[in-house]
Amino acid sequence: MGKEAGVISTLHLILKEALHRKVNFVLSLSVVMITVALFVTYLTTAEASKRETTRVTRDMGFNLRIIPKETDMDLFWTAGFSEGTMSEETVQRFASYEGVFLSYNHLVAVLQKRFSLQGKDVILTGVSPAITAPNQKKQPMGFEIKAGDLHVGFQVADRLKLKRGDTLELGGHSFKIERAMVESGTEEDIRVYGRLSDVQRILGLEGKINEIKAIDCLCLTADQDPLRALRSELDKALPEAKVIQMRTIADARAKQRQTAERYFGFMSPLLLMVCAGWVCVLAVLNVRERRSEIGVLRALGHGSWRIAGLFLGRALLIGAGAALLGYGLGAALAHNVGPDIFKVTAKAIKVETALLGWSLVAAPAFSALASFVPAMLAVAHDPAVSLRAD
Amino acid sequence: MIRCDQLTKVYRRGGTEVRSLDVLDLEVQEGEFVSIRGPSGCGKTTLLLALGGMLHPTSGNVIVAGEDLYRLDAKRRAQVRSETIGFVFQMFHLIPYLNVLENVLLASGTSPADAALKRAKDLLTRFGMGPRLEHTPSELSAGERQRTAIARALLNKPKLVLADEPTGNLDPENTEEVFLRLSEFHKAGGTVIVVSHGSAAEKFSDRVIPMCAGKIVVSS
Repeated sequence: MGKEAGVISTLHLILKEALHRKVNFVLSLSVVMITVALFVTYLTTAEASKRETTRVTRDMGFNLRIIPKETDMDLFWTAGFSEGTMSEETVQRFASYEGVFLSYNHLVAVLQKRFSLQGKDVILTGVSPAITAPNQKKQPMGFEIKAGDLHVGFQVADRLKLKRGDTLELGGHSFKIERAMVESGTEEDIRVYGRLSDVQRILGLEGKINEIKAIDCLCLTADQDPLRALRSELDKALPEAKVIQMRTIADARAKQRQTAERYFGFMSPLLLMVCAGWVCVLAVLNVRERRSEIGVLRALGHGSWRIAGLFLGRALLIGAGAALLGYGLGAALAHNVGPDIFKVTAKAIKVETALLGWSLVAAPAFSALASFVPAMLAVAHDPAVSLRAD
Repeated sequence: MIRCDQLTKVYRRGGTEVRSLDVLDLEVQEGEFVSIRGPSGCGKTTLLLALGGMLHPTSGNVIVAGEDLYRLDAKRRAQVRSETIGFVFQMFHLIPYLNVLENVLLASGTSPADAALKRAKDLLTRFGMGPRLEHTPSELSAGERQRTAIARALLNKPKLVLADEPTGNLDPENTEEVFLRLSEFHKAGGTVIVVSHGSAAEKFSDRVIPMCAGKIVVSS
């Protein structure tokens, strides 16, 4: 019998009842298990999702352009770059300014000028390696160009019949074509990218840059006026420069992140409410079905704690079972489906054992909370009603 | 053993007062076998539940074994029920997911586990349920279910057994069997109160109390 100890324990009653009313128990367990699984899946893939979002927004390009303060903006927009220059050390000074990475990130020093290449103008663009926040684990964004290498835009490559591995004479120096870029449909197609130091040498502007490209970290939309904060920060760090924000990209970035956050912020409580509602309804049905049992337990002298314990204990058991199964299911989903969704950042999907601990605490507590009202209904149930119903 | 004074139970249904028990005085001596008889709906079950501390009366007192039940807090009242009173119901009210032995042991309360187990097995064997200890209620006949329910009611050696239509679902053979078991308890010094709309209990009873419309008609 397994329980010949004279007094039948509450746990024994709970287990036997669960086996007897399997449908209700399994349904309740399934609802909580699915909720746990969804949270575990979401949280296990969260880092990959975050990185994927970062990559998507990164691929939109830099959205901040820091240029010399004296730049004539009419000429700037006509030429596409500033005619003025700043010292190259400006970017290091900017990067070392306290708190700069709260607003700006992925700082790339750029020098760009029109340059005649075999009879036609190109935009010769020198770029430095990106500077990121000191404690940042993320890889620097975009590509990094090695000294002696060039990346040529589609139009330039097409006109000069250049392909990867070819060499190109530029300003009296020989360079290897590392990459012939695909058609972009923008002025990128007439750019020739080189290492900043190489381009400075070709242009005779050693130690000079005319722009710092960056990405803003504020992720605010236009109506939240991020430029004011960015300009205020820049004024303190680099009084000799000014910043232009490319609103379309910035807004897209901000909206992309805010949408993801809002979606989770909306879905989480909704999911929890639906789950709690189901657990509560199933628990109420369980209480209704067991009214005569409650009556007879009362008649046998069992008190309110025993009655409450039967229903809350059942809820805790459901929560604990759902936590274990839900964690397993969620982790399996994350590892099997996650890589298909987050193809590039799949490596970020890792087993989060801490989630099992959290599940084992949160799911039983949640289940008990959702079953609290039905348990109190059971306690408050008048035994005479069901015993007299004969 | 039991005394109730000026006992009333009034329900309100749709604005109408229904007096289920109407100024009812009753005294049952220790060791008596009392049969309360009346038509369906006359308030017999209400009276029985009130006597067992299961139904708070609208007014009046119920004193069982010296304890004024409805002046006790719920915990103490449950304790009195567990230690002093055994219930037997028409529908048996066995827990469907427990086997026969577990159903009986469910009444063990604070009894020592080993003693409760031994007594449960003894009772069930005496009632012819020895081979059925591991069976669940759905595997039992109606007579077997009621014998299990009586064993459960007697497990704690109560002073009083309250039986509500205990043979309402049984054939004559099992009816006789049930009353024999209750009679055994009575002969051993226990007090029995049976409510019934039939007359089967009368030959085992010391006293028959007719009841009608919530009132005791005459106490004979």
